[in-house]
Amino acid sequence: MLKKLLLLQAFLKKEFIVFRRYWVNSLGSMITLYVIFLLVIGGFQGVRAWAGVGGDTVEGLVVGYVLWLFMLATYQDVSHTLRSEAQEGTLEQLYMSTHGLGWVMGAKVVAGFFTNLVLVVVLLLAALATTGVTLNVDFLSLLPLVVGTLLGSVGIGFAIGGITLVLKRIDSYTQMVQFLLIALVAVPAGRVLWMRLLPCSYGSALITRVMVGGESLVQLGLWNVAAMFFVGLIHLLLGFGVYKICERKAMLAGMLGHY
Amino acid sequence: MIRVESLEKTYPSRKGHPAVKAVDGISFSVQEGELLGFLGPNGAGKTTTVKMLCGLIKPNSGQIFINGIDLVHRRIPALAEVSAVLEGNRNIYWRLTPRENLEFFAALRGQSPARLRADIDHYLERFNLGEKRDVEARKLSRGMQQKLAIAVALISQSKVVLLDEPTLGLDVQASYEIRQLLTEIVKEQGRTIILTTHDMNVVQDTCQRVIIVNEGKIVADDSVHNLLDLFRVRVYSITIQGQLTPSQRASLLAMEGVVMEEESPDRTSISVRLEDSQILYEVIGILESNHSIIESIDQDQNNFERVFLEIVKGGSQGA
Ligand SMILES: Nc1ncnc2c1ncn2[C@@H]1O[C@H](COP(=O)(O)OP(=O)(O)OP(=O)(O)O)[C@@H](O)[C@H]1O
Ligand SMILES: [Mg+2]
Repeated sequence: MLKKLLLLQAFLKKEFIVFRRYWVNSLGSMITLYVIFLLVIGGFQGVRAWAGVGGDTVEGLVVGYVLWLFMLATYQDVSHTLRSEAQEGTLEQLYMSTHGLGWVMGAKVVAGFFTNLVLVVVLLLAALATTGVTLNVDFLSLLPLVVGTLLGSVGIGFAIGGITLVLKRIDSYTQMVQFLLIALVAVPAGRVLWMRLLPCSYGSALITRVMVGGESLVQLGLWNVAAMFFVGLIHLLLGFGVYKICERKAMLAGMLGHY
Repeated sequence: MIRVESLEKTYPSRKGHPAVKAVDGISFSVQEGELLGFLGPNGAGKTTTVKMLCGLIKPNSGQIFINGIDLVHRRIPALAEVSAVLEGNRNIYWRLTPRENLEFFAALRGQSPARLRADIDHYLERFNLGEKRDVEARKLSRGMQQKLAIAVALISQSKVVLLDEPTLGLDVQASYEIRQLLTEIVKEQGRTIILTTHDMNVVQDTCQRVIIVNEGKIVADDSVHNLLDLFRVRVYSITIQGQLTPSQRASLLAMEGVVMEEESPDRTSISVRLEDSQILYEVIGILESNHSIIESIDQDQNNFERVFLEIVKGGSQGA
């Protein structure tokens, strides 16, 4: 256990160092993301359908946008690590870790959570300032909901990362995952029951109820939150399973490192 | 320390590429504290073997034991004793400094960085990276990056260290420095090292024993000393202007003891091992048949490069 903590500490330190050393890049991507937000807000009328989140309100749009960002960043922490480290030649070293790759990626995701949180909070504040809306930022209620929601993106990250390990050429299509994530945030999982089974969707609906509707964790119903977590775990396991199958194939074909 | 039995690897066929038998039933073992050179021409199966030894490629059949632990079935416990540098300077994070790299990889391999602080300083000094300890790795020279990658492999304290072409792409001096370091480390720390290389200087300087593979099979497994002895005969190196005709080339290579050393548009060198002085006349006869201009005939030092070329060409079983 102590060793796992040391592993987490090592990833936190690495994330922090790179974040600080390359803050200009981080700032650049924040600005790009903010411009995207302005475009979305600007074209709000046109994308009314997109804003199915918690009703057709600007509040819903802000929540949907920020949550999408968080999901995207988390997804990329997994899938891009698998891809770009394969390219850079460090993935093989991660594989040789005595912790096993599952723990290594877990530590990476948790460490990434904190740097992504900085990004998300900054953009949330920017979005709030731009639109002038107020949201209920109840951290205690939000934290478990966000974590439960992100389990789905980690699962998707593993699945897509695993598939690109085997089918390198598919890489250019993975850009589409961004749009898939928008759809997952936006579907009305609050009203349509089966949609709660989709990755991230129910969590997104619950988060909107907290941030826009002002409800607390208890008001949401602990059973609902537990169900959301459970679905998230299933997606995480499914994604990891897909990844494991791909990893096996890649190990047989000698394709772990090469790109 | 390492025991490999009947190891086999066939890469499955992929679109447009047939299946490739890269490693074809090799067995060998390596003692603790040994520095073994793993040689062979391009595509012989060296990298494939090394990657199987560090659990990155699954063999089709055969067994690998690291310190008695079955690597194929108990990968993680076996890996505790193995570290590797597979792609020269690419096995490190380029955006981290040498010190940060060492700390990160120590934790990745289950070591506590705090306890290793002294070790980290030791390796930074030892590998002459002390001055650059706080410079991002991407800004270091290739030789320094490769030294750092080796230091990273050593920091994990694993008993077995695998190095795939550790001096590839380095200038003479950097390559020499790495050779020195490896020799010292084996001597002082008793680690077991397997390195693959195409550089015969590396072999002659550092390895006690070599395994030569060709087309996935072991063609020689002996001490460098014995292999040199085996081939201790008079060797001539003949250089001519221009190139050989295909028929000259074919008849020369058909002769026992003849290998090509260098072939470029304006110069060709062959080397001839003489068990019988008659051969020299035959070789010269073949060269003159096409009025090739002989630039020089030198008596060669018995060197390992020649031994290697001859073993690979003949596929002969060395001792
Ligand atoms: N991932 C792969 N998929 C299919 N074939 C492969 C793969 N990797 C290597 N091969 C093939 O397997 C054979 C052995 O390759 P390997 O890389 O082990 O040789 P090597 O001895 O390391 O050669 P080199 O000296 O060029 O590094 C070669 O024919 C190579 O083309
Ligand atoms: Mg190789």
